[in-house]
Amino acid sequence: MNSNSKRTGVLISIQDSLVKARYNENVIMGETAEILVEGKFLQAEVLQIVSDPKNAKLGIVEMQVFEDLTGAKIGDLVVFKGKALSVLLGPGLLTSIWDGLQNALYPLGKQDSYLKPGMRAPALDEEKLWDFTPMVKPGDTLYGGHAIGSVPEGRFIHKILVPFGFGKCKIQTIIESSLVNITQTVAIVTDEHNKEHELKLVFSHPVKSPIPFMERSIPKKTISTGVRVIDLLAPVAYGGTVGNPGPFGAGKTVLQHSLCKYALADIIIMAACGERAGEAVEVFKDFAELDDPSTGESLMNRMCIFGNTSSMPVAAREASVFIALTVGEYYRYQGYNVILLADSTSRWAQALRERSGRQGDIPGPEAFPMDIPDQIKGMYQRAGADTGSGGSLTFIGTVSPAGGNFQEPVTQATMDSTGGFWGLSQDRADAKKYPAIDSLVYTNSVYDSFISKEDRDQILKTLQEANDIDQTISTIGLKKVPVEKYVLYQKGQTIDFCVLQQDAFHELDACTRPERLQVINMAIQKLIKTPIHFSNEEGDVEELKEQIKTEFDQLRLWWKDWNANAKSDAELAGLPEQIENFVLQEQYA
Amino acid sequence: MIRKEINRISEVGKALISVEGNPGVALNHVVELLEADTNQSLSFAKAINITEDTTRFQVFNGTQGLSTKTKIRMHELPLTAGFSHKMLGRSFDGVGHVNDGGPDILFEKELSTRLDTLNPTARLVPKQPLWTGIPMIDVFNTMVKSQKIPIFAGPTEPYNRLLSQIAQGAQADIIIFAGIGLKFDEYHYFKEELSKSGNMDKTIMFSHLAGDSQIKGLMLPDVALSVAREFGDQGKDVLVLLTDMTNWSNILRNVANYQDMIPSLQGYPGSLYSELAKRYEVAADIDGAGSITIIGATTMESLEDPVPDNTGYITEGQFFLENGKLKLARSLSRLKQQVNGGTRNDHRAVMTAMASLLADAEKAYEAAEVGAANDAFSQKLLRYRKDFIDQIEEPFGEPLQLEAALDLCWDVLRKHFEPIETGLSKKLTDQYWDLKDSEKGI
Repeated sequence: MNSNSKRTGVLISIQDSLVKARYNENVIMGETAEILVEGKFLQAEVLQIVSDPKNAKLGIVEMQVFEDLTGAKIGDLVVFKGKALSVLLGPGLLTSIWDGLQNALYPLGKQDSYLKPGMRAPALDEEKLWDFTPMVKPGDTLYGGHAIGSVPEGRFIHKILVPFGFGKCKIQTIIESSLVNITQTVAIVTDEHNKEHELKLVFSHPVKSPIPFMERSIPKKTISTGVRVIDLLAPVAYGGTVGNPGPFGAGKTVLQHSLCKYALADIIIMAACGERAGEAVEVFKDFAELDDPSTGESLMNRMCIFGNTSSMPVAAREASVFIALTVGEYYRYQGYNVILLADSTSRWAQALRERSGRQGDIPGPEAFPMDIPDQIKGMYQRAGADTGSGGSLTFIGTVSPAGGNFQEPVTQATMDSTGGFWGLSQDRADAKKYPAIDSLVYTNSVYDSFISKEDRDQILKTLQEANDIDQTISTIGLKKVPVEKYVLYQKGQTIDFCVLQQDAFHELDACTRPERLQVINMAIQKLIKTPIHFSNEEGDVEELKEQIKTEFDQLRLWWKDWNANAKSDAELAGLPEQIENFVLQEQYA
Repeated sequence: MIRKEINRISEVGKALISVEGNPGVALNHVVELLEADTNQSLSFAKAINITEDTTRFQVFNGTQGLSTKTKIRMHELPLTAGFSHKMLGRSFDGVGHVNDGGPDILFEKELSTRLDTLNPTARLVPKQPLWTGIPMIDVFNTMVKSQKIPIFAGPTEPYNRLLSQIAQGAQADIIIFAGIGLKFDEYHYFKEELSKSGNMDKTIMFSHLAGDSQIKGLMLPDVALSVAREFGDQGKDVLVLLTDMTNWSNILRNVANYQDMIPSLQGYPGSLYSELAKRYEVAADIDGAGSITIIGATTMESLEDPVPDNTGYITEGQFFLENGKLKLARSLSRLKQQVNGGTRNDHRAVMTAMASLLADAEKAYEAAEVGAANDAFSQKLLRYRKDFIDQIEEPFGEPLQLEAALDLCWDVLRKHFEPIETGLSKKLTDQYWDLKDSEKGI
């Protein structure tokens, strides 16, 4: 790219966020551009290049603009930037809060409380000093992705890398250990053509070029999310992928917030893509007061947030997910376990739909672009475990299906792309059962659970049988159900009520760690596997069923109380003991 | 100032007109349409689509009667909304012109109607409860100041009555009424109710009646919300009533179709979600200023219709009105957790327990329809369900303070169940089960 000649164009068509421009020299597919509207430069991205029916020598470029175009006129200047949409990578990413294009929101807030077209703020703090320690010396030969030094970023060691686009290069100079900010040069390298490049603590990387794995591997190690139904029945491993669809009001947000607070990971990235602003605000304002479950530090120290909320320009939604993915890959490359929560991938897909509609593409199902399944697969593929770096990137995407219908294109493509699936059911949500993950219909996971496969299958089998009996009760009535079946039904109800359901707002019940989960599993297995003999003297079957219900009610109440209060080892051991007594019906002997 | 004029309209459609060539109009800027011979103002219009060959406008007053000779005068500014404290007690159309027959208003300032996004860092996490006196809301779905929440209802449900009732009780400094596609009697009803309750002097009404120009209806929320936001920025707690957003969405659909946009579901444009979100997201508790709460009405045939469906993903919950009752099952206040933990110690537990029992009762009800609810507990549940619908889901009874509403909940539980059957902790049942009327201070 020749930086001396300024490649420009002029607007010839404006429709919502889609514009066309006639260019003067050449353009590059996917490059970014700026459009000068009423004295402000607005950011845009090249989508397509077509021939100009009015001038065979030149062409027309179609662009999507990431900001509101009010005031744009035919003839407005376009300046092409020669660079694809990129994200700035380096120390200071953690604790940051940006819009969908990585403008830092707090500095923007100092300019105006409202986000106006053309407003910009640096992605990372340019003043902050970092304690740089070099790891290489002049004369060393390096490649893109190699570390030249490191800085401490909170509790993390943040390696300073040669940008990934670099080939073989040689260190000319590098500074001694010292405090530097991100605008200062820390090293000079020469490339194979002997051209000099200044390296800083930060570099920018195109968001649609995945950062490579050192050595990609199959996700094996289960994540403790703290959510019992997930960790028992639909687990996810470090580096895995999960789709989490649900109709509105089914509890996607509460679940996302729970994962933010309790999932064990080094770093959590939140891409609030086209969702409510208030939810992102709750995370960075209230969660900042909470403790990181693994370190006890502020939860924000392990987080960064892209807040491209629903009223922000639609075109930036697509960008926000890719930017967040790239940041995730960067920390995976650094050797950390990262969880990316993208809420919601449906809004991302809708942004693509709006754009392709404006471009006049032939629509696929529900007017989504024909290639939406491939785009979704490509996105989830960027997650993964890396034994080379020791890091991983786990991608948990929520899906907001229109009408709560899981047959719609985005949900279907997601189910096809992810290793785990947490489907939230309207019926469970209506019954105010949280989490509303339907363990029978809508869960699936290729990852290992904290309990053995046999135990997991046993629980699912019991839930299935209990569910079948429930159907029978609803259709032919309780009277026709034999006592043994009714007991089985009550067992299933107990597992559902006391284990699968959880109070996301209760300090103890909200998060269950593997050790506690093992205790619970012991209790469950005991409850499932032991036949219980209930009897009453009169031999009245209906009265017996009422008695069984009361006894199970009492057990459930006791168990709920245990969920809310048991802390010490002795208290924990109380649960298997209680179940032992219950199944033997000793207290009734 | 001499303003540029264009002398020929090349295309006139429903709500839209086009001119050939590029007169230099900017996107979203406003032009004025003038009768060719008399220069009499006919309407304003907004540039929505510009190419070097044609410029397309949305005409605020509709296109009936426009001649191809109609003159277009350029204003070189986007649509603004006039703002003045003198607007209180008055009524305006969708573009902010007086429509109550009273004198014109000299505006203090002109506001942008672009509805720029509030920087999320300028938002507070909302934590102030908004009490309504309606048990189904206060106990089960507590509202919070700055919440955005619609009422989902079939077209014949009393949703405007409910909206009005919530508005009367809400502790707001300013009420902005934004009515789109209203029937005249609905408009009249709100005006009467607001006057009767003495709230008219803190109310500004923006109204668009069914049959009025579609584009004015389309603009109305932007104008009303810009005015609401200005009051919010000035430190006021503002309540916006948006009714009916399905009418608004239908206008959006019509105009998108006039523009030949590719429809996604049921003819609505793919941007329906973003367009609704842009308006609802104006609701905010602003750091260092006031707040804007939005309660909307969304009429529907089915919850799966695109308008309620998209709305549900945008708003912070919804109230579901069916057969005149506020139904627990589909109603939700997403912000209730922010405020229902610091109320009476039984609040959350009662809410959860009653909801769980009601879910069981609904199953028993379904079973009963096929004659399968033949056991004693199912019968209990059925009686409970009836009382729950009659007493708790009734939104139009006497307003109840939270404590009284919770006591009512205990009354219903006590009437139908043994303590153990409620799933409530022993601690709570010990405290509240045997409470006699005399001890409740009634």
